[in-house]
Amino acid sequence: MSTATTTTAERAAVHTSAHSLWRNKAVRTVFYHLMVAGFGIVMLYPILWLFASSFKGRAEIWTNVSSLIPQQFTLENYVNGWRGFGGISFTTFYANSFIYAGIGTLLAVLASALVAYGFARIQFSGRRFWFACMLATLMLPVQVQIIPQYIVFSQLGWINTFYPLLLPRIGGQAFFIFMIMQFIRGIPRDLDEAAEMDGCGRGGIFFRIILPQITPALITAAIFSFYWTWEDFLTPLIYLNAPRLYTVSLALRAFADPSGTTDWGAIFAMSSLSLAPVFAIFVFFQRFLVEGISTTGLKG
Amino acid sequence: MRSRPSVLIMLLMVAALVLSACAPSAAPSVAPAADSAAAPAAGDGPIELRIAWWGSQNRHDRTIAVIEQFEQLYPNIDVVFEFAGWADYWTLMSTQAAGGNLPDVMQQDYARLEEWVSRGLLAPLDDYVADGTFDFSNVSESSLAGGRLGGKLYGVNLGTNSMMIVIDADKLAEAGMEIPNPDWTFSEFEQVATELHEKLGIYGFSGALSNEQLWKNVYLSLGQWVYSEDGTALGYEDDQPFIDYLNMVKRLQDAGVTQTREQELATGGGSVETDLIVTGRSAMTFLWSNQIVALANAAGEGRNFILLPMPRPEGGASANYLKPSMFFSITSQARHPKEAAMFIDFFTNNIEANETLMAERGVPISSEVRTALEPMLDVSQKQMFDYIASIESSVSPIPPPDVAGHADVINNVYWPLAIDPFLFGQISVEEAMRIFRAEANAVLAETAR
Amino acid sequence: MSEALSAPAQAPSASHKGRPVRRRKASFRHDNLMGYLFISPWLIAFFAFTFIPIIASFLLAFTNYDVLNPSWGWVGLQNFERMFTRDPRYIKALQATFFYAFMAIPLRLIFALAIAMLLNTNRRMVSGYRAAYYAPSIVGGSVAIAVMWREIFGRDGLVNAILGADIAWLGNPNTAIWTLIILAVWQFGSPMLIFLAGLKQIPREFYEAAAIDGANGWQQFWRITLPLLTPIIFFNLVMQLISGFMVFTQAFIITGGAPLDTTLFYALYLYQRAFVSLQMGYASAMAWVLLAIIAIMTALVFRSSSYWVFYGSQEE
Repeated sequence: MSTATTTTAERAAVHTSAHSLWRNKAVRTVFYHLMVAGFGIVMLYPILWLFASSFKGRAEIWTNVSSLIPQQFTLENYVNGWRGFGGISFTTFYANSFIYAGIGTLLAVLASALVAYGFARIQFSGRRFWFACMLATLMLPVQVQIIPQYIVFSQLGWINTFYPLLLPRIGGQAFFIFMIMQFIRGIPRDLDEAAEMDGCGRGGIFFRIILPQITPALITAAIFSFYWTWEDFLTPLIYLNAPRLYTVSLALRAFADPSGTTDWGAIFAMSSLSLAPVFAIFVFFQRFLVEGISTTGLKG
Repeated sequence: MRSRPSVLIMLLMVAALVLSACAPSAAPSVAPAADSAAAPAAGDGPIELRIAWWGSQNRHDRTIAVIEQFEQLYPNIDVVFEFAGWADYWTLMSTQAAGGNLPDVMQQDYARLEEWVSRGLLAPLDDYVADGTFDFSNVSESSLAGGRLGGKLYGVNLGTNSMMIVIDADKLAEAGMEIPNPDWTFSEFEQVATELHEKLGIYGFSGALSNEQLWKNVYLSLGQWVYSEDGTALGYEDDQPFIDYLNMVKRLQDAGVTQTREQELATGGGSVETDLIVTGRSAMTFLWSNQIVALANAAGEGRNFILLPMPRPEGGASANYLKPSMFFSITSQARHPKEAAMFIDFFTNNIEANETLMAERGVPISSEVRTALEPMLDVSQKQMFDYIASIESSVSPIPPPDVAGHADVINNVYWPLAIDPFLFGQISVEEAMRIFRAEANAVLAETAR
Repeated sequence: MSEALSAPAQAPSASHKGRPVRRRKASFRHDNLMGYLFISPWLIAFFAFTFIPIIASFLLAFTNYDVLNPSWGWVGLQNFERMFTRDPRYIKALQATFFYAFMAIPLRLIFALAIAMLLNTNRRMVSGYRAAYYAPSIVGGSVAIAVMWREIFGRDGLVNAILGADIAWLGNPNTAIWTLIILAVWQFGSPMLIFLAGLKQIPREFYEAAAIDGANGWQQFWRITLPLLTPIIFFNLVMQLISGFMVFTQAFIITGGAPLDTTLFYALYLYQRAFVSLQMGYASAMAWVLLAIIAIMTALVFRSSSYWVFYGSQEE
């Protein structure tokens, strides 16, 4: 399977890069679309199943499981799901998720870009050490950090506030810092030097030269950060105890009870719906990935 | 040239550290101040009562509604609540316990009660029984017994449950078979399951027969218990009854009467709704009595189920007992234990509250509440009530709560070292039980230490 | 541990070989003030929020702390000793994790790169395709995915329907871990997107120049695309390595470690020990061993990087 895709990938590479017009361009185009679209449907099947199930009624959701077409199309699951719990609806949960994911993403991406520039372009004592520390923070399972961290934050009186969720983001996130570093290091230094000769300081270089060059990386970071924050339930679970502060991902997990009645229809419906903002962010931002370096280069 | 800036930086760093360290130490002094301002007013001003539970949407809705009723009755009490799914709930509660920040009232589970009591995290409720905050005049002692540890009451039973075999009545009729005797033995059970399978070509029984609940049932029925009284070792000497039982399970699996362990793991989502009996691919399954409601919901209209007690070993007593489905407990970190007790009493005895709860947590312990609910029950709820009523007089006495090392024994010994290796054909059943006894005893001895 | 901490630093240093020569240029000058200024957000957040929990978890590794019990004691190296001598499940967890990591990581990366190349074009519909290929990655670890995956690999599921088989994929000790590997490969969206961003960063002029020189597509891939993408490949490899060894959610929600502990991933076992068996001390010890394992693996990758990773900034 993977060999097949590699060959196609190579052909695509040929195609993208080669501006020479091959004789059989039309044939190749058709082949490309068939291949990519066909495989795309396989990729999407599980999601289609989720959507289909979310429109099935109570009676058929577990008796007509494998069908992708509901016998009786119903919106009941969406209505029941959105209702939430005891008068606190998904309107509230969405608002909370947007606060967490929105502000969290903004903080994480901006801070990560700054820190990444420091690590990638400036030579200073202790740099190796701090970089290693930063990577090491990614390697320690969060499960053993929860309790000490909870004790710290509860001593600060920050339970039921967004501080424990957002404030740690002011330092950026190791994943994005490293990622942006790699992009910065791909940029030739001539650009920095030219700017320096024009009288730019470090800040000037960062904002005028580096930032425009790493736009694809920043967009990618924003897409991921938003999604990872959106789906994070552990931090909200521990720190946002009041149901009016629950996020969508946390609320979704409060639907299922293995020992009692679970409204799976509502779970499927709200799960489907919770994909929407993440998907929208992706669709919106990925357009900027299409433009490529030549455009961003002009801005610089 | 090179060292001077770095010294400066180090100084700045230290300053930053001190600053960031100052912030934490300054903040809590503010928070307690606000608390202590509120605390003295507690006598007549609003009291904040915290309550936590696990469950699904249905339970959350009903419980929140009852909280609102309670707040109307006691306008000076402001109830704040938190809820989560099962696994998340315990992560959250453990974390809060470590932070000294537990709610006033927490939902507890029979399997965890000992664990929490032995660490001094739950408060005994006897004082509030004595001063009349709790009114248990309509509650039988057997319904409360599960919440007692070392003679003290640590949890109030929120609903009575018992295990049961669910039989698809229509499949039974289709096979032209009689309803089995309620005091059936394992060999009768094996016969019925096999016959259903052979006549209908579907599974006679869904599976999960190797579940640790059945291990408990075997010894309970024989008048023994799986753990010793002090919780430092297994409580029985003879492995043979369970060996016989496991051999039966293996026979049923090999014959295709039930799913094999392999198939079980592939099908089950740990959820009632995914049981094969829902789609009619199996004729019997076992559940906790309150789960009949979920099963009936998932199976849809026009289905008929028969509820029977669990089968027992030859010559044994009832393999059933009445188990508290869950408790409300007052934590030792509670700020308002008295109000917490008032809330639990309201939950137990108030008719209006129970009309809202509709026995979602199991059959209510108050006889008065049961009588009041009787006319409002739907078919499956009524089945649950009737089932509990029918076995009440014949059940075995409730075994002691699981010992503190129970979760460890089940997760780290029972399944991975004994049951699964046997059912996957890696070791013999005798070998499995030998390993189980040795390793379980080691774990229990270590936990008790 | 010290080797692990110093080794990753190889990479930053790689671009600064022969510092004296470059000293005249600002972009290479040793500049502590600006350096610490730029990384100060991270340092502040690190010391304010992560440092204490990390140290605490390290100290807990030498205790019998059980979360619920306020009274706990030091047990020295007992936790570590138990892990390697008296805990058969621990060895199984190591086996499962290494198997998963060595299978899932390369497959995922190859898949991600191939699809990224395929989608790095300005053809019509390509936005739609990207969305389709990325979509599986946003269903993440929700409760729904457990049901969904069980459905697809269930006995009446899609896979058996296509193969005309009745295989209990998730229950069979030989196949269960593969379903999780397939799940990981299916959710290749994040490395794919990073590759895509990396491909976008390669200046088009390079290809144009190569085309003029008569290089065909295959040659361009090997001479331009791959070398210029190495920093990103390196990044994805390191990150997939770290997250691969820490894999948790899929096993947690889908298999729970079954059958026969073949999907008992390290982080899952650690979680069970910490929050189900309530042995936080033991779990902390496990966590630090995991950190050491990942650090060593990462260090190896960093060491190797000077042989195959090329930075644009290195070119003089």
